[in-house]
Amino acid sequence: MKVLAAGVVPLLLVLHWKHGAGSPLPITPVNATCATRHPCHSNLMNQIRNQLAQLNGSANALFILYYTAQGEPFPNNLDKLCGPNVTDFPPFHANSTEKTRLVELYRIIAYLGASLGNITRDQKVLNPNALSLHSKLNATADIMRGLLSNVLCRLCSKYHVAHVDVAYGPDTSGKDVFQKKKLGCQLLGKYKQVIAVVAQAF
Amino acid sequence: MLTLKIWIVQALFIFFTTESVGELLDPCGYIKPESPIVQLGSNFTAVCVLKEKCMDYFHVNANYIFWKTNHVTIPKEQYTIINKTASSVTFTDISLLNIQLTCNIRTFGQIDQNVYGIRIISGLPPEKPTNLSCIVNEGKKMMCQWDPGRETYLETNFTLKSEWATEKFADCKTKRDTPTSCTVDYSPVYFVNIEVWVEAENALGKVTSDHINFDPVDKVKPSPPHNLSVSNSEELSSILKLTWINSSIQGFIGLKYNIQYRTRDASTWSQIPPEDTASTRYSFTVQDLKPFTEYVFRIRCMKEDGKGFWSDWSEEASGITYEDRPSKAPSFWYKIEPSHTHGYRSVQLIWKTLPPFEANGKILDYEVTLTRWKSRLQNYTVNDTKWTVNITNDRYIATLTARNLVGKSNAAVLTIPAYDFQGFTRPVTDLKAFPKDNMLWVEWTAPNESVNKYILEWCVLSDKAPCIQDWQQEDGTVHRTYLRGNLAESKCYLITVTPVYADGPGSTESIKAYLKQAPPSKGPTVRTKKVGKNEAVLEWDQLPVDVQNGFIRNYTIFYRTIIGNETAVNVDSSHTEYTLSSLTSDTLYMVRMAAYTDEGGKDGPEFTFTTPKFAQGEIEAIVVPVCLAFLLTTLLGVLFCFNKRDLIKKHIWPNVPDPSKSHIAQWSPHTPPRHNFNSKDQMYSDGNFTDVSVVEIEAANDKKPFPEDLKSLDLFKKEKISTEGHSSGIGGSSCMSSSRPSISSSDENESAQNTSGTVQYSTVVHSGYRHQVPSVQVFSRSESTQPLLDSEERPEDLQLVDNIDSSVGNLPRQQYFKQNCSQHETSPDISHFERSKQVSSVNEEDFVRLKQQISDISQPYGSGQMKMFQEISVADAFGPRTEGQVERFETVGMEAAIDEGMPKSYLPQTVRRGGYMPQ
Repeated sequence: MKVLAAGVVPLLLVLHWKHGAGSPLPITPVNATCATRHPCHSNLMNQIRNQLAQLNGSANALFILYYTAQGEPFPNNLDKLCGPNVTDFPPFHANSTEKTRLVELYRIIAYLGASLGNITRDQKVLNPNALSLHSKLNATADIMRGLLSNVLCRLCSKYHVAHVDVAYGPDTSGKDVFQKKKLGCQLLGKYKQVIAVVAQAF
Repeated sequence: MLTLKIWIVQALFIFFTTESVGELLDPCGYIKPESPIVQLGSNFTAVCVLKEKCMDYFHVNANYIFWKTNHVTIPKEQYTIINKTASSVTFTDISLLNIQLTCNIRTFGQIDQNVYGIRIISGLPPEKPTNLSCIVNEGKKMMCQWDPGRETYLETNFTLKSEWATEKFADCKTKRDTPTSCTVDYSPVYFVNIEVWVEAENALGKVTSDHINFDPVDKVKPSPPHNLSVSNSEELSSILKLTWINSSIQGFIGLKYNIQYRTRDASTWSQIPPEDTASTRYSFTVQDLKPFTEYVFRIRCMKEDGKGFWSDWSEEASGITYEDRPSKAPSFWYKIEPSHTHGYRSVQLIWKTLPPFEANGKILDYEVTLTRWKSRLQNYTVNDTKWTVNITNDRYIATLTARNLVGKSNAAVLTIPAYDFQGFTRPVTDLKAFPKDNMLWVEWTAPNESVNKYILEWCVLSDKAPCIQDWQQEDGTVHRTYLRGNLAESKCYLITVTPVYADGPGSTESIKAYLKQAPPSKGPTVRTKKVGKNEAVLEWDQLPVDVQNGFIRNYTIFYRTIIGNETAVNVDSSHTEYTLSSLTSDTLYMVRMAAYTDEGGKDGPEFTFTTPKFAQGEIEAIVVPVCLAFLLTTLLGVLFCFNKRDLIKKHIWPNVPDPSKSHIAQWSPHTPPRHNFNSKDQMYSDGNFTDVSVVEIEAANDKKPFPEDLKSLDLFKKEKISTEGHSSGIGGSSCMSSSRPSISSSDENESAQNTSGTVQYSTVVHSGYRHQVPSVQVFSRSESTQPLLDSEERPEDLQLVDNIDSSVGNLPRQQYFKQNCSQHETSPDISHFERSKQVSSVNEEDFVRLKQQISDISQPYGSGQMKMFQEISVADAFGPRTEGQVERFETVGMEAAIDEGMPKSYLPQTVRRGGYMPQ
């Protein structure tokens, strides 16, 4: 756990989160103060659905682009190397309330965002010429940033949730190249699987 | 060691130099504020503070301070002395953008020294930016732009700020060259509202625009669809299917499209109805297209809900619809070749290639059929667009079909009338041709009868090239069309319209027209046809059609004299000659001519002509009357002279008495008269003989003559005066040589007769010729027998004359003349005279004939001495009648006396008139 927190912290500083890195953040009490820079848009849920669809629409392509860029043995051993065997991935309950789904979505996107940060960092080193992959990873990360903003805005504006505890995936900085590639591939496989479910839920 | 010393010296030098320069550069004071930036129109105050050290050195204080702006001293009214060391200056309503303000002191009462200087910058605070808008070009970063407001004259920074509800993005600073737009550094994130605004800031203030909040996906400009392709369908020749690839944004937003198309040679686009392309798609089938036609397509897209911007147009793609059978029969016409063999005629069938939109495919060939009246059909396949065939003189029906890959067109039917067909009537009426919209339109009124089609033929009229016809076909319902050919401007087109009926063509109607007229390229050459004293008939040739360039509407004739103003005369175009009137005679005129079309005119070459001084016949009208008058005058003069010839003769050519013929003895009153003159006087009283010699004799005695004698004498005197130079003196050798007056008479014949034996000479001494006083006035009778003249000295000559024909015939009158004028030739005449005298008798008839001869002879000679001598000779012809001759002399010579009824007797008259008495 310490390893996970130590690897994710730098990425979180780059991304959205500035506080509470390294451990799941609790949901802000209902009566907690919830402040945004400007009022949230009224069409947030629609935007969230579109963002999920956008992510879902590009998840498979990202996955393919990733394992293709990694080279053998990944393309021919997807089940073994890229199976969605990600531990401690945040759960999602599609049949729960909107608030719960939003909170779970928040945790999932936070988890995925941090993991994409690690993967992007690793791929720039491992496959510096895979520009298309880099671009796709950055675009996905950007979409996730926007999704988190919308979810947080929705939680804040409607459910007055100003803070949610999140958990992050394992830090890959200390792993070898293959492990980095394998963890990345597994994460993207998981992402492709989860985002389809989540997008369907909203 | 040496190096160290040098270093030390250098260091000390630099130190002291720096110190001294620092002292020198240390100002005497300073101005507060140091670098002011003030707003235009505001007030501003600056304070100059002097340093104590400087004040002591120059012995000055704040009172010595004066201010300058841009080297101009500021009035002291704007100064304020704050204390001993400080003085301020105040500006109100600053209008200059850049002011150089200096603080100065006057030292030693006369030296102005600058203390300090600052630069005041003026400007305006920024206005609130307006019209902020953003656009997200797909695949690129968001760019926003705005209106910056008024000019601030200061460096103004614009900053685009943006944020989500949960986080703020980095500011976007404008670049110097694009202060009204900025492109953010981050990639746009769709479906998250972002708030954007602009801050404008300069030294005088900061202002913020209104915030705009939007979802970037609503500001997106998608990339255009790509890989557009077009495919046709063999089943349907009127459709084309488009396919394309949408941009990646299509993955999460819906799109709508604009699809446009046109034929390859068209310039305007047609568009598919937008409602047919209002949702995301990857293909579209365009219908209702023309067969075998190439179409060009393009497509663009935008967000389905209409928010955002249209993408750029895609690259164009083209496709050709599939073929279909020709939709129309070709235009079909024929020409009969001029050559015609017995029983057959050569007919050239011609047709036009179908335009692509009617051919609906590639025409493979044409099928022609010919059917003679009540005969079987003949088929021909032709690849060309004309076909010549020999047919009989019968009526034929020809059909034509065009064939392409899919099928045949309908048949065009043409009736070729029989050779002797006489029914070419029913032409179109009111045929008109006019240019419009750079096309030559033809309009006509259709005949009453139903027309299958019209054939329009046209060609360029030219003097240099034959009329090569082009043609086109119009439907029978058309009565107005334009010529579909490559028509040229300034060319005269002869257009004919032929209606074609079911039984054959009707009569043609023709008209000339121009697509566009222009001024003639050459002016008419004018020349004179006839030039009169006050008018000139000009003529010219019609301009050749090649140079007319339009319809010649009129001519203008310009004519002028060298010094006169030009006169212009307009002449109708149908004329080829014109008469210029009211011209000045004997004047050089310059004339030129211009021909005008509707578009202008062109001058021809200048022609000069000179009007004559006199009109035709004018000279004749003057000369002929003058000549006639002259002739008449001459004739009258001649008649007058003829009538007055005696008088004239006396003045001009008096008879000179021939002394050799004188017979003074006869003058003696004692000499009995030998002749009886009475009867002869009657006979010759009206004679015109003028051979009278007048001898003016002034009698020596003082005996007064009778009045009638004096009268005659006066006349004689006058004649004598005029003829004195011609009279021969007695003894003179020449008829004109004697200057001595003598008494003579015209009766030379008588003298000759009477001196046949001996000649009695007499010396006539009178009182003087013409009042000259003679030395001796003696009348003496010469007793000498010595002949005086050669004729008398040579009697053989006389004898010779006597031997000549004794008839009175017309002897050469010249001889008489010569006889009188030349002494050497006198003899024959004298002989003649003598012979004449010897003629004993001449009957009356001879006399009359002779008289007539005289008249005839004298007539051509008119007047003068010759006439006179002729008459003399004629008188001599009466020689045989000596008495008659004498009588005639008397009659003529005494004309005045006759008028006075004087008796025509010689002797008494002589006695009385002469005023002398013979000795």
